[in-house]
Amino acid sequence: MDFRPLNTEERRQLINALRGNAESDRAILMDRRDTSFAGTADEVTDEEVIGAIKSVPCHY
Amino acid sequence: MWQALVDRTARLLSDLRRSWHRPPLSLVQKREPSPAAVNYQPLERVLITDGVGRTLFEEFAAHRARVNGDEETGWVLLGLREAREVVVLATLPAGADADAGIAHIRFNSSGQVLASRIVRQQDRRLTIVGVVHTHPGSLRHPSDGDFHGDSRWVPQLRGGEGVFAIGTADGPAAGGTLFAYQPRPNVHCLGELRFSWYILGQGETAYRPVPVELTIGPDLARPLHAIWATVELHAERVDRLFRQQAGLRFEVLSDENPGLVLTLPLAAGGEAVRVVLRHKSVRYYLQRGGELLEVALADDYVDRGVYLLLAELAGMA
Repeated sequence: MDFRPLNTEERRQLINALRGNAESDRAILMDRRDTSFAGTADEVTDEEVIGAIKSVPCHY
Repeated sequence: MWQALVDRTARLLSDLRRSWHRPPLSLVQKREPSPAAVNYQPLERVLITDGVGRTLFEEFAAHRARVNGDEETGWVLLGLREAREVVVLATLPAGADADAGIAHIRFNSSGQVLASRIVRQQDRRLTIVGVVHTHPGSLRHPSDGDFHGDSRWVPQLRGGEGVFAIGTADGPAAGGTLFAYQPRPNVHCLGELRFSWYILGQGETAYRPVPVELTIGPDLARPLHAIWATVELHAERVDRLFRQQAGLRFEVLSDENPGLVLTLPLAAGGEAVRVVLRHKSVRYYLQRGGELLEVALADDYVDRGVYLLLAELAGMA
């Protein structure tokens, strides 16, 4: 079993992710390949970006 | 119970560490992440990189020099939505197959969708922040028709606001082309070319001018502009392949014969299928044991070609 203390940056990211989840219902993202931590909802999903691109209206 | 909890914790820590210790994917340094919960406020300024500024002015000038230079053109803007500002970091062109005339433009979204996936390999926080389009005349403000569409579009953007710029070519030629200048906080001019920047928020009844400032940085999508015809030609099939194969990665070949390289890692360590797209040319390679082997496979449909190759490799295993 391998325990390692988090470094400052890792601790900050994890605390931010947990706080964002608890206080604002922001998703904690999971890597679909190996279920590892993949960031928080600050990282925009492909679906959100592509939905916006496909719905750009005609401009005049 | 306690042992199970300890085991679970160790597994989570291991996963987290593996994730954080992955080699960086980006070609550029990532900015410090924003706090987890961004409290979006009304936008107070737009920050564009010098790379994005160059793209807009250079490509607007190049467009005007073409046979169809009197038609409208435009770009989708990718960037970071911060609490009170937007940082524009990439431009996705309207595309060769855009529906454009002297009074309208509708972008070809298939190339832009694939380009957004490629650019966002570098930073998953990149999102759509707005649209730039040009007016052949001297209307330096979005039209009523623009408002009709944009007001329905902005609610789906982060913060419920979008950045909109209008390009015109009605400035005084005496302004010079040696460097750009700002006659007003929301306007950038270079020679006769002018971009006027605005914000439109959800539920607002009018666009409002927004101060625009330059900072040093890239246009992350600029390498793709040189191969945009290739991107558009293969967009739907490559996009389908990307959705089916989670490990698919993209690189742009920027040599004298530019192209797009797709890399699909295989289960065996170090092995990968690589595909090089150069307009209609599709070439398949197998990377194995430090060697790059070209595959004799003549299939112009890249997704079908990759699956044929994977089936062949499975049969040989």
